[in-house]
Amino acid sequence: MSQTITIDPVTRLEGHGKITIYLDEKGEVENAQFHVTQVRGFEKFCEGRPFYEMPSLTARICGICPVSHLLASAKACEAIMSVRIPYTAAQLRRMLNLAQMVQSHALSFFHLSSPDLLLGMESDPVKRNIFGVAAARPDLGLAGIGLRRFGQHIIELLGTKRIHTGWVVPGGVTEPLSSAHRDEILAMLPEAYANLGKALTAYKQIADTFKPEIEVFANFPTNYLGLINEDESIEFNDGALRLIDPKGAIIEDGITATRFTEVIGEAVENYSYTKFVYYKPLGYPEGSYRVGPLARLNIVKSMGTPKADKELAEFKQISAGPVESSFHYHHARLVEAMYGIEKIEQILNDPQILDKHVRATAGVNRLEGAGQIEAPRGTLNHHYKVDENGKITWASLVVATGHNNNAMNRGVLQAARRYVKDGKFSEGALNRVEAVIRTFDPCLSCSTHAFGQMPLAMTLMSADGKVVDLVVR
Amino acid sequence: MTVTKARCLILACGNTLRSDDGVGPWLASWAEKQFCGDARVRVLSSQQWTLELVEEVARAESVLFIDCSADSEPGGVRLVPVEAKADMQGVATHHLGASELITVGRELYGSLPRAALLLTVGAASMELGEEFSAAVKGALPDACRQIEETVTRFLAGAAPPEAP
Repeated sequence: MSQTITIDPVTRLEGHGKITIYLDEKGEVENAQFHVTQVRGFEKFCEGRPFYEMPSLTARICGICPVSHLLASAKACEAIMSVRIPYTAAQLRRMLNLAQMVQSHALSFFHLSSPDLLLGMESDPVKRNIFGVAAARPDLGLAGIGLRRFGQHIIELLGTKRIHTGWVVPGGVTEPLSSAHRDEILAMLPEAYANLGKALTAYKQIADTFKPEIEVFANFPTNYLGLINEDESIEFNDGALRLIDPKGAIIEDGITATRFTEVIGEAVENYSYTKFVYYKPLGYPEGSYRVGPLARLNIVKSMGTPKADKELAEFKQISAGPVESSFHYHHARLVEAMYGIEKIEQILNDPQILDKHVRATAGVNRLEGAGQIEAPRGTLNHHYKVDENGKITWASLVVATGHNNNAMNRGVLQAARRYVKDGKFSEGALNRVEAVIRTFDPCLSCSTHAFGQMPLAMTLMSADGKVVDLVVR
Repeated sequence: MTVTKARCLILACGNTLRSDDGVGPWLASWAEKQFCGDARVRVLSSQQWTLELVEEVARAESVLFIDCSADSEPGGVRLVPVEAKADMQGVATHHLGASELITVGRELYGSLPRAALLLTVGAASMELGEEFSAAVKGALPDACRQIEETVTRFLAGAAPPEAP
């Protein structure tokens, strides 16, 4: 008799999803699906709005990474305007994106994943949270809060508020950086380096104890996609996309935002509202790939900053080719955070960073435009069509969680097959299946907040629809 | 980032797009003007209270939290003491309450504000909108008066008032 286990909702993710595990008649895992259960509809209700509203409108998709949508959207708008933004504006935007990446990676590593990593997958779920980490390792609890605040405060200094800033506009940014704010950010850097150093040390001390999880946390060959510079260093704002195969060979290079829809497609599965993104020439699902920190580090040859390059060299020791297990996303995030802090320091020391010319202006010069950037979770592409008055007639947003969707589903199945046995669902098994998803740090539209408690319920159902087991926490 | 040590921290929360839920940010804005120029008073406002605010709370001598209340009668202004919890069990990461903020501050930074009070205004509506209900509009003068009196007491170093 086949059975179904549902984990609903999955906890410590940005947004809400659930997992269904299908058991065969012997009680062994036959299949698993990760469902995203929210509908947002942004692509549709943006139609008819003036294109210059799109950065602020689409930033509302997310409360964690609104900066990503602001930047991708502004770039799409600038393609419509046919303008090149001033150098200083580009540098300030780069700093904004990196600050967001640092705060988002800190949130993922410290707040969402460190409870598993530092307290253990089998630890008491009541204490398995950032506060449990703070009680067990106050130094790391403080480091996590400090590193997140570092990124958020830079965003606030640049854009006057931490979330949903209106500072990024088509053509550049609204205000230049003041010398007082530059000095304030520079003064924050030593503490940021120290906090990140604590995280790297702690992670490297415990990573080897998770070999069983590393083996089955989405540990399989895939393709990888991400932005890269011409010198093969990491890129978050400009450059073009590179797709590599499981052995690291380049499948396609130089995918610009405009060419994105030529080569990237979106498939639909009937169990999730999130699409499954793939590389068209390879078809679906063969053309699926991973994005985000693991993919970026697999693609690049260097980070372009000294401390991060040292960390990258160490990261690449994990495997002769691309690093496959999604467990290593945690490590990759810390390497990227190091790059982010170093690059912010470099940008602040740029002699032109206080230049007052930070915005270009123009009207509608093209009826179509696309922009792409690297969000903390992976590649983000915005693509718009407008009428002659600049009103949006069509919008497409391809987000990181869509790129990773196929790998997340395969990862859940791989972990479930290891940890769910005989139709039984131990607390450790439940947490590990969730933790696979957390390695990707998916953003399931976190601007939709739940009101009240969000219990985690596991239901084991028989084929005739009867609940044979129920676990709620 | 250096956290400014305030003698009196006013910390408000609420969503200005949710009608009466925006009363916290409105009162924070009023307080900012009212105590403008007094370096002893620091005013912060956000949609939600999150972990990043814990250090501000822990380092402050006294804290006046401001929020709207879905449980009080519409327009009712209440001022109640805030006490730390025994432990951090059940504390969520996305949003913290006043009591949780000072509890986490005690655990992480080993310090508690000398006095902590929570001022709430009862909400009549939290539907989408940027206007307050008549009940909350009518409560604003009383809320402002209580904020001013509380801050004055805090700065004078007086003991916090008894709960009504």
